[in-house]
Order: sequence, then structure tokens, then C-alpha cells
Amino acid sequence: MDNLISVADHPATTKPVATQSYERFDIFERIEHIIFLASFSILGLTGLVQKFSASPFSLFVMQTLGGIEGTRRIHHIAAFLMMWVTVYHIIAVLYRVFVLRVQWTMMPLLDDFTHLFQDIAYYLGFRKHKAYYGRYNYAEKVEYLAVVWGTIIMGITGFMMWNPITTAKYLPGEAIPAAKAAHGGEAILAVLAIIIWHMYHVHLKRFNKSMFTGKITHEEMEEEHPAELKVIETDAGWQRPAPQVIRRRQRTFIPVAAVMALVLSWGVIQFVTVEPSTALTTIPKGETVAVFVPITPTPRPTTTPKPTAEVVAGASSNSWDGNYSALFSNRCGTCHGRTAVSGLNLSTYQDALKGGSRGPAIVPGNPDASLLVQVQSAGSHPGQLTIDELNQVIEWILGGAPEK
Amino acid sequence: MPARRVTLLLALGILVLLIIASVYPLLKTVAAPALQDTPAATAPVTPTPEPAPAATQPPTGNLSIADEVCLGCHGQPGQNMTLQNGDILELYVPAEMHQGSIHGQLGYACVQCHTTVGEYPHPSFSATDRRNVTEQLNEVCTRCHRQQNDFAKDSAHEAARARGVREAALCVDCHTAHEVRQLHDPRTGQLLEDVKTWIPERCALCHNAIYQKYQGSVHGSALSEGNPDVPTCIDCHGVHNIADPRTNSFRLKSPEVCAKCHTNPVLMSKYGLSTAVLDTYVSDFHGQTVALFEKQSPDAQVNKPVCYDCHGVHDISRVDDPHTGLEMQQNLLARCEVCHPDATTNFSAAWMSHYIPSPQNYALVYYVNLFYKFFIPITLGGMTLLVVMDASRMLINRARQRRKTARQATQTAPGAEPVIDMRIPALADTAATGTPVTPQPAEVEASVVSPPVNTEQPESTGIEEKAETQSNAPDQPASEPPDGANSSDSEVEHG
Repeated sequence: MDNLISVADHPATTKPVATQSYERFDIFERIEHIIFLASFSILGLTGLVQKFSASPFSLFVMQTLGGIEGTRRIHHIAAFLMMWVTVYHIIAVLYRVFVLRVQWTMMPLLDDFTHLFQDIAYYLGFRKHKAYYGRYNYAEKVEYLAVVWGTIIMGITGFMMWNPITTAKYLPGEAIPAAKAAHGGEAILAVLAIIIWHMYHVHLKRFNKSMFTGKITHEEMEEEHPAELKVIETDAGWQRPAPQVIRRRQRTFIPVAAVMALVLSWGVIQFVTVEPSTALTTIPKGETVAVFVPITPTPRPTTTPKPTAEVVAGASSNSWDGNYSALFSNRCGTCHGRTAVSGLNLSTYQDALKGGSRGPAIVPGNPDASLLVQVQSAGSHPGQLTIDELNQVIEWILGGAPEK
Repeated sequence: MPARRVTLLLALGILVLLIIASVYPLLKTVAAPALQDTPAATAPVTPTPEPAPAATQPPTGNLSIADEVCLGCHGQPGQNMTLQNGDILELYVPAEMHQGSIHGQLGYACVQCHTTVGEYPHPSFSATDRRNVTEQLNEVCTRCHRQQNDFAKDSAHEAARARGVREAALCVDCHTAHEVRQLHDPRTGQLLEDVKTWIPERCALCHNAIYQKYQGSVHGSALSEGNPDVPTCIDCHGVHNIADPRTNSFRLKSPEVCAKCHTNPVLMSKYGLSTAVLDTYVSDFHGQTVALFEKQSPDAQVNKPVCYDCHGVHDISRVDDPHTGLEMQQNLLARCEVCHPDATTNFSAAWMSHYIPSPQNYALVYYVNLFYKFFIPITLGGMTLLVVMDASRMLINRARQRRKTARQATQTAPGAEPVIDMRIPALADTAATGTPVTPQPAEVEASVVSPPVNTEQPESTGIEEKAETQSNAPDQPASEPPDGANSSDSEVEHG
């Protein structure tokens, strides 16, 4: 993809010899191509897996690269690399244009359209030959222009996504999702163009090694760049200027280029550092209220008031009927009522006097002999009478435990 | 012979089908328990936490003791027991309380839960305090509801209990002891209508501050108005296996919790809400990151927001609420600033507010997408067309050449078989003659060197074919069959 702006600066060949090879790309261009290729591939892979992040392949790749955050980091590093190559390329092109004054062989011309039509005619069988290309044919020019266009779009949109807060200071917020859309669309276009166009022309049709060896054979020149070959052979092309001319031009170029390099480098540094922290790394706190805030428990329903014992008419208050039947029924009736635990049933006066399996519960006149008093005085009985109630019971027994 | 094979195959097929049929229900039952209590897997409208209580273990104890015997004592008020710390434990259970509960309705007797106290006098019982009574009796539920209890064992409540938080909920804290309610319609398996409002009230017993917030939210206020569509506590938090919502994994999974209802077209159409909220979230930077982390490292801490970071947790408000609604850009910006303190006015519009770009909303994004929708296929289509044409022409020429050489071979040596040479003709020739590459191109070169002179003028002006014939004199005969293989080589080479 990295077809650089042209340099027809091959050493002017003396005489065409069949075995001759020509230098097509110098060492700097080849290194530049390799760096660009590496960064492009990394960007393409790490970018597209983000765009299609739901696919199993993307998940696998991201897992391998350390998750989505790792993938983004690699994408950013590769972008940084590509920006540097681009800066270098701009300065290198300016050097060729202003110092070496090469022909602008990468410039698209009307001829390129002519060549395209000639090739189509050839494909359809109306011509015997393909067009006679110069140093760069339309396929190569299209690729170069695609890289220029792509780098500009990707650089701008990439900046916007990388630095959204800075972007939103100058542009509407909407521009950021739009940048993302363009970045993704452009990525698909670039990667597929490489796969279809570049792969076919440079690898499939014939494996063209000149970008790595730098050399192109005479035969290949005849086949692919016959017009350029003609120019070279007739010495009609660009000639390298005399060394002193180059030096003179360099005297003006180098300071200007140095300033430019500084400015562009500053731009690249700005690109990656202008917004050091887009977002806080701390996690926003979700819920802010306390988790455990119990409702003050509703007081247990107050014990239902004991039914007023039915007082037998005429009964004294200090008698079984008048008081103690009701007291025992409430306090003791649960066990010593219908179920008569230990044989003791306190529901009737007679049963109470009779007592349970251990003996009489109430012995009139003698509280000490009454089992009820003994058990209650010891305390901790399930149906425990209060001290006052117990004293009343003792009084009542001392008084002969009258029924009425 | 074939008939036997057919029967053999049939028998094999039936066997395989039988095996599948017998294994299938097994697989289903294995999968079932996981689904039962996980709210994520249940129907979004009204989730069914547990379709029906399963009696996993028959109750033990003296079943001959009727409830009337127990109620003879415990049915009377004033039954108290003083615990070790002085707490009063009331032992009074009004008959109608138990009879009104689902257990009473189904005819479960007191002693089926209180298995140890059937005989009288009761065995001694002591507890340090009231909470301790609940702790001791909790296992009682497990006898029938083991599955629910197992789920509860994985809950945040159980984890808190393990840390020594005694208040952490036990069965009866939510379900009550003697007033256990029927929660589901046994026919549909759906929660009963009135249970919807009852659930948050139960949770509120301990989580009252959260409940107060919930009541003010879009969901909680609708619930109090009797809307059964809205989620209650359990729809997001689960039923028995309530997970700690403060973990990273809960956070990463939370968008799916919201999506359960918010991607349901039937439910959302009732309220005119978009079902694209999850998709639009996941296709954005924040949601994509969260979704990827959820898949690849679900326990990781991620600083990208999930639904509730913008919409609120328990106090989720309507998006058109004038004070908090995210539809207002200034409200949205306030949310952005929580994580992006440097954000300025324009920034909040970088989030597309769940809109799918259209000419009305986010038109710029829409048109960028539209541009690439055409630009990509046109560019790549043109490239592909040229590549296909180039490749086809090359293959056609090669095939023609092959036929020609074959024909020549038969002419020169009538008895010999035609040799089909797959290699590039130029190389094939050199290989055949054994001579190095050098001499051959010299001849080819002669034919090629001349044309460039003519590239510009004659071809672009005149009739293609005519120009061709004139300018490429040496190549011209190539197309004519009677001529030698040499010239046709060079023709192919150009292709």
C-alpha cells in the first residue's frame, strides 16, 4: 500500500542490457514500507476485532492480546508508529520535490484514465496489449492516493475518538460518534482494498519482490513499466542534479524541514497526550444509601387482655369463685386444664383440692403442705405467678381456701 | 445385500433416536434447578422464582397430634417464655393465623414443622435471645424446601451471616413463620398480583432506606399505583440466591438484568419505550467494553458505566423528568461529569442517547454511515471487477497458448502425445530448449521497446484496433494462427 511519491531517481543507466536490473525503491523507502505495513496490519487487526467485537474470532484475538483494553493499547501504539512514518514520509516527499526536483510520477494524470480504458479494452479482447505504463500505473496511483486519503481520515477521526473531551470543546458532540462511524467504514475499505487490489496486483498475479529487494529486472520493466523503461533508455527522464546544486538546495531545505519536523512531531505528541485522562479510573458509586436500615420492629401485639373471670354472684373476692378460679385458669390452665399435665387439673375447685399425681395442690389452712405453693415458691415454673399473686394465694389457703 | 444394509441402518437410526430420547429429559432435569431460581432465566413480565414448593423430604414427628392439641395451649394469648437475655418470646399462635397461611390451607399440622415438641411435656428449649430462636428453627423449613434453602446458601444474606451478621435474613424473616403466603398462581406459575407489592415491603424490613428510594423511582411509584409490569426487588436481585450487588461481576452483568424487560417488545410497546436500548448501548464505546469484559473477565473492575450509573440504581427516574431525566442534555452532562470531570457542554451529545442514527436524530452519523454504505461497495466493486477481468484475460490467454503449443507438438511429432505445459510460456520455452533466460528476452525486447513511443498519440486518438496493428508491427502476427509460437509467447507475456 505504501507506494511513495515517486522517485524516478534510478541511476541513469548507460546502455540497456538484457540482464540489467534497476533500482526501484531505495533502502529508506523499503524500511518505510515495512514499518507502514507492520503498523497498518496491526491497526487493521486490532481495529476490526473491535468493530466486530461480538464474533468468536474477535473474542479470541482480543483474549490473546490482553482483553479489550490490551487491544486498544496495541492499536494506539501502532497508530503512534504510523503517525511517525507519515511525518517522515511528508518530509521525504518534500525533499524529493524541492531538493532532488524529481518528476511527479505519482501524480494522477489524464493518461491514467486512458490506460484504464485501454486495459478494459484489452480485457474484453479489443486490444492485443495492455496499456504501456510509466513508473507508476493507475493501480499503484490509486493505492497511493487511498493511503493518503485513508491516513488523513483515520488520523482526524482517530484523534476525535482518542480525545473526545478536547474535540467536544470545538465541535458538536455528535462529531465523535460520526468520527467512529467514519473510522470503521474507512478501515473496512482500506483492509479490503489491500486484500483485493494490493494482494492481487503485487502478490497473486506475480509475486513482486521489488519493495523488499529494491530491484526490478529489465524483463519486469518491459512488462510492467515499458514507458518508464523507454524514458530511462533514451535518457529523456529526470537526471540527478549535480552535487553542488543539491547542497545549495539543501541549505534552505534542511532548516525548513527541521522546523516542520518539529512542528509535526509536536502534533504527534499532542495527539497522544493532549487528553491524558478522559475519564476517571475509579468506578462511580452505584447506590449511595446505607444497605441495612431496618424498620423499627413493630412492637409485638400486646397480649390480649385476659377475659374477666366471671364472678359468681355473691362470692367473696378472696375465694375460689371470686378470684382464684380465673387466676389459675389464665396462668396455669394451658397445662393444668384440659390436658391436666401431671394429673393436675385446676379448672374446678374439687380437682384442685384433689391435686395431681404428686399429691394435693391445695391443702386448706396449710400453704406449706400445698404443692402449688411449693412449686410456685421455687420459681421458674412455666406458668409462674407473680410474687403478689403468690402471696394472695398463700393468704387464701391460710384462710382455709374458701370456695365461695 | 443392500436390503440388509438398509435394515441395519434403520435399526441404528432408531437406536440413536432412542438414546437421544432417553438422555434428553435427563439433560432437562439437570438444567432445571439452575433456571428455577435465577431471575435472569425467567419470564420478564412477572418472574417465577419458584414454580411450586417441592416436598423433598417427608416430615417426621408425631403426626397423630392434632393442631387442636397444640392450640389448646398456644391458641390462647399470654403464652410467653422468657429467654436468657430477658427477651420475651411469645408462644401464642392464633388459630386463624396458621389456618390462613398456605401451610394451614394445605392442612399441614403444627407438629410437621415443630417435630420435637409433639409430646408433652415439651423437651427443654433454651435460646440466648429472640434471634437465636429463629436461627435454631430455620432448619425446619429445609425439610420440605431444600432447593430454596440451597439457593439461599449462595446468597449475600448467607455470606453476611457467615461474617457474623446475625440480622442477615433467614427464611421466616421474609416469609414469616406462621403466616406463610401463597406466592404463585399454581396454574400459571406466575406471581400473584398482590404479592408484587408485598415483596418490596418484606425487603424493606431491613432495607428501608433503599425501599424509600425505590418508592420514588419510576418503577416503585408505578407499583404503588398497582402496575404489575414493573420490576420489584426480586426481578433484579433474584429470589433466594440473591447475589451481592456490589461485586464487579454483578455490575458487569447488570445491563442484561435491565435488558430482560427493556428488550421485550410486548412490554415496552405498552409504554412507548425503545427496545434498542441494549443494542445501542453495546454498540457504543462504554457498552462494548462492558460487554467484552463480561464475556472475557467477568470479575474485573471496569470504569465504563453500566445502565444504572447513568439512570440511577434504586431511584431510576423517567428520562423526561425535568430534574433528573437524561433526556435533558444538562442532566445528562451532570451524569457525564461524574466520570469525565473535564466535560464541557458539547460533550454529552457524543453519547447518542440510545438513538439509532437517522435523518432526524444524529443525522451526521447517519450520513457518514450512508456514505460508506455506498462508497465501500462502489470502490471495492470497481477494484474487484478490474481484478476479475485482468485474471480472466490472463487465464484465457494461457489456455489458448496451451492449446497452441499442444497443436504444434502434434504437428512436429505426429506420434507423440501432446505435451501440456502449465508454466509461463516464456519460461517453458527456455526450459525446453535448455538455454538460459538471457537470449530469449532480447527478442522479446525488440517487440516491446518500440511501443512506448506510441503510447500517447495513436492509441488515444484513433480506433484502437487500427492503432494497434500499426504500432505493434512485430507483435501483430501473433494473433494469427499460422504464425510461430515465438510471437504468441510475447503476447501472453503482456497479459
